[in-house]
Amino acid sequence: MWIPRLDAGDRVRAGVISLLLAFVVIVLPQLLSGYWVTVCTSVAIYAIVALGLGILMGRTGLVSLGQIALLALAAWVGARLFFATNLPFPIVLLGSGLITMVLGTLVGLPALRLSGLYLALITLMLAGAITVVLRTTNFPNGGHGFLGHTETDRGAASIRRPAIANGDTAYLRYAILVAALMFLLALIHVRAKPGRAWAAIRQSESAALAAGVNVTLYKMWAFALASFLTGVAGGLLAADSGQLFITTFPTSDSITLLAVVLMGGIYSLWGAVVAGLLMQLLPALLNNWGVAADWLTIVFGAGVLQVLLTAPQGLAYQFPHDMARLGRFIAGRVGRARAPARERAG
Amino acid sequence: MPSWEDFKPFIVTGLALGGVYALSGVGMVVLYRATGVLNLAFGAVGAMGALLSWQLINHNGWAEGPAFLFCVLFGGAITLLYGVIFGPPLASRDPLVKATATLGLALILLGIMDLVWSDKARSMILPTSNHGFEVSRVFVNYTEVIAIAFGLAVMVVTALFLRFTKTGTAMRALANDREITATLGVPVRRVEAAAWLGSGLLSGAAGLLLSNLVGLDAATLTFLVISSLAATLIGRLRSITVTFFAAIVIGLVNALITPILSISQYRDMTPFVLATIALLVLSGRRGSALSGRAG
Repeated sequence: MWIPRLDAGDRVRAGVISLLLAFVVIVLPQLLSGYWVTVCTSVAIYAIVALGLGILMGRTGLVSLGQIALLALAAWVGARLFFATNLPFPIVLLGSGLITMVLGTLVGLPALRLSGLYLALITLMLAGAITVVLRTTNFPNGGHGFLGHTETDRGAASIRRPAIANGDTAYLRYAILVAALMFLLALIHVRAKPGRAWAAIRQSESAALAAGVNVTLYKMWAFALASFLTGVAGGLLAADSGQLFITTFPTSDSITLLAVVLMGGIYSLWGAVVAGLLMQLLPALLNNWGVAADWLTIVFGAGVLQVLLTAPQGLAYQFPHDMARLGRFIAGRVGRARAPARERAG
Repeated sequence: MPSWEDFKPFIVTGLALGGVYALSGVGMVVLYRATGVLNLAFGAVGAMGALLSWQLINHNGWAEGPAFLFCVLFGGAITLLYGVIFGPPLASRDPLVKATATLGLALILLGIMDLVWSDKARSMILPTSNHGFEVSRVFVNYTEVIAIAFGLAVMVVTALFLRFTKTGTAMRALANDREITATLGVPVRRVEAAAWLGSGLLSGAAGLLLSNLVGLDAATLTFLVISSLAATLIGRLRSITVTFFAAIVIGLVNALITPILSISQYRDMTPFVLATIALLVLSGRRGSALSGRAG
């Protein structure tokens, strides 16, 4: 059993994060109007997806190009479970997470033994394949049979939300809390044995192997965890939108997700929050200002190249450092401006 | 079960698609062997070239010939530009990082295409599509003939080029060891630039042919690269011949499933299914050269 050993720094950090979380859960939803509540719910959901991809890329050096397609699959599974059963909401989330985990791992398994490039390719193909299947089967909307889809509009039912969080604002709080739990789950993994194994694999696969790390097992573990997180996010997304359409999950979004995760920073869990904001909040802001969101795609593309060339740690690391540097720069300027004045006075 | 007559027309379609997938696949393998970069923006570059030549024909009054040539040259130019700017700084990085970087280019191109050409459906018809001949009561147009012949020609010429020319030998040497090749006095950057240019020209040609065979749509053309990627993967990112035949099989299977109604809608899964089977077979063979960088 993993027992957290917290030093003073950790305790301060945990306190600050708890305060921040309390603000986001209690105060923030009160300040937002209807549209921005739904946008923030999407941010929370996509932050979980980004967290999964961030763990894959930042911890084990694996790249998946099909996470959004996996999210679509998870949303399908979640929707199916919601219509088929009367299970409590959290159980359904857990179920869609576990089922997605099994499906995702099965697909990744043949590629995991090979070099990372093969996994990237096979996940890209998987993204195409899932899109093909879901375009034909459609998403469950209360119909009969295994697929649970009915063409008639009258039969179409909304996917239910938890009883305690039926309204949009309440559901935003719910989504943030689930996201927080998922981040905690990821943190536990990173701090414990899997995290150390992943770090070894990222540094050098052969060295990890020599040190007795079961490389395939821990790669699979990372892939399973990422799929689980995506699965939970898919369940949340299903209940958030009520009715699902394949157009919500274009294949290009998987690549956009990769871009924002890289830009947010893959070596810090905060990067996933930044990635969620970049992917969901920024397009909404641009729409609000009347700018075409396609510009963002171009910016994200340039961002990928910039991150890979010069700033591998992404915004979550870069931004505080740049701010600190700016602060020192300004302090230096102000200090120099004052110094002569003091000399004259003296 | 449909009869043989139902399948016949799709053999030609399948071979034509397979031919284009093959030439894309060969273009990607050559670039990967020479530079270690798997160009995932291959489809996006071709799509942008095709859309540009559509624009030139329909809005700028260009004749078809020069516009089509422009599409091919655009593919070469943009790929070469990317290779010259981003190739050297990323040269020593992992192949996975290099492949990821090309996704940046793909996103930039996708963004531009969505911005400029997303308003309505378009189509572009090569003059060769209007003419053709009949083989046992199946109409074959010349675009399909070009696609098949060009795919085959690219495979043969590339194989001969790698085997017998000086630049080709240098490319094969680069695939083995970049540092040693540089030490031996091979102008690495110039050879790599040649690979980028050749691969880029092929991406332009593939974009032009696919826009005709499949349709002129940015997202569709960009992600058709998946079929070629499956072929390169089956060829282990190394063998041009295997890539060629895998691409033909993928094109054929994809097209031949069309008349079988029960699974017809799922035919676009073909590349994924075939590549997964290939991976299962390959990873079953332990100790193969797959775990490191192929080449």
